[in-house]
Amino acid sequence: MIPRHFQITISFLLAAILIAGIFIITLRHSEETKTQQGLAAGPQAPEAQGKEETIAVLVAYDEDMALRWRKTEAFMPDERDLRARAALRAVLAQYQQSPSPHPLASGADIKDVYLLNDDTLLVDTTAPFADGHPSSVLLEEMTLTSLIETLAANVPGITRVKFLVDGKERQTLAGHVDLMNFYQLSAVHELAKEFE
Amino acid sequence: MLWSRQCFIRAAVVGTILLCRPDLSGAHQQFQSPTPRPSPAASASPSPMPGTVEKPTQPELLVIIDPSHGGDDKGVVFAPHVFEKDLTLAVARLLRKELQDRGIAAHLLRDSDFSIPLERRAELCNQQRPSLYIAVHAGEPGKGVRVYIPILPPVQQSVNGFLPWEAAQGPELKNSNAIAGAVTRELKKKDIKALEMKAFLRPLNNIVAPAIAVELAADRSDPHSLESARLQTAVATAVASGIAQARNQLGARK
Repeated sequence: MIPRHFQITISFLLAAILIAGIFIITLRHSEETKTQQGLAAGPQAPEAQGKEETIAVLVAYDEDMALRWRKTEAFMPDERDLRARAALRAVLAQYQQSPSPHPLASGADIKDVYLLNDDTLLVDTTAPFADGHPSSVLLEEMTLTSLIETLAANVPGITRVKFLVDGKERQTLAGHVDLMNFYQLSAVHELAKEFE
Repeated sequence: MLWSRQCFIRAAVVGTILLCRPDLSGAHQQFQSPTPRPSPAASASPSPMPGTVEKPTQPELLVIIDPSHGGDDKGVVFAPHVFEKDLTLAVARLLRKELQDRGIAAHLLRDSDFSIPLERRAELCNQQRPSLYIAVHAGEPGKGVRVYIPILPPVQQSVNGFLPWEAAQGPELKNSNAIAGAVTRELKKKDIKALEMKAFLRPLNNIVAPAIAVELAADRSDPHSLESARLQTAVATAVASGIAQARNQLGARK
């Protein structure tokens, strides 16, 4: 015969374990949902590194097939690679607005930026940046020109830029414009003039 | 000593067989000029370039027309069942006819629905030593036709007389510009809105002949406009007229 007080204690303990289990499952589920929402969202606001600056970004406008310089606020670190990433994210943030002047896929973002030999930049983009990019010679060219020209304006000394997609080389952005080569900034300047 | 003697005897035997069997010794020629290799999806389709198989006479001018995309690569999806790959093929076929009507030989890089990798498109074109390469595209936004010419890196140094693959277009860039200008003028004459632009568009930079691309443009609000046979014919006629006008820049095949 089990004493009554022992039965009560065991019952309380089992109930406590059950409640704790339910709480943990609920907490885990809510964290997973938050993570998924975070991944699906567009580019995050630039990390609050460096000081807030007003920078110039070249924004693509599909409606009139033009690129125009705009001013925007961004946190710009001193390190050149981080500064480059912040500038690129500031451009992408323009495209994630609603209504967007140049819609890009949700999740289009800059994963990382690598500076080589002080003058060459490797820009690693997320998979949705290329996978979800509208397929069109003109639209692909406008995206890359706006990103490269913004880099040139905010990170002096860069002369060559190459884009990767999720850490790997890809032939084209969305079936047309070249991603295999290094973009020479002088050639991109020439192209940007056509969109003015 | 014995080993080197055996090697010598083997080499002599192989050499004799190759001399006696021209069908075997010709294998290297097949390697130099391989036939196009379409994707598995297109294995049932006809050979993409009949010109690679039979070349009885070499025409003075040869235009290679490249209908972009194909097979699994649909290109721009304008609307359900309206794909860039089909529009480009339709326009390319019309352009071939218009050029042939003007006495200019023209081949399509693909004449049915299969994919060809971009590098392979350049290889196939360069093997033919054409007078002109023209890629046909269709895309958003806008109206009319955009005529693209390649942009090359500013420094194009040849190494031992060879140009880098990515700058193979270099010596022909001036001619590409001239032909794009002629095509744009003809499009405007036919009241088709035309814009001449530069583009980092593959595989234009890898082509060893004058190379341009034409992109038929459609607005998102009117995705079916490019299906119009009238528009396609008008564009093909104007582009063919432009090419005919620029015959002087094209030159004979090398």
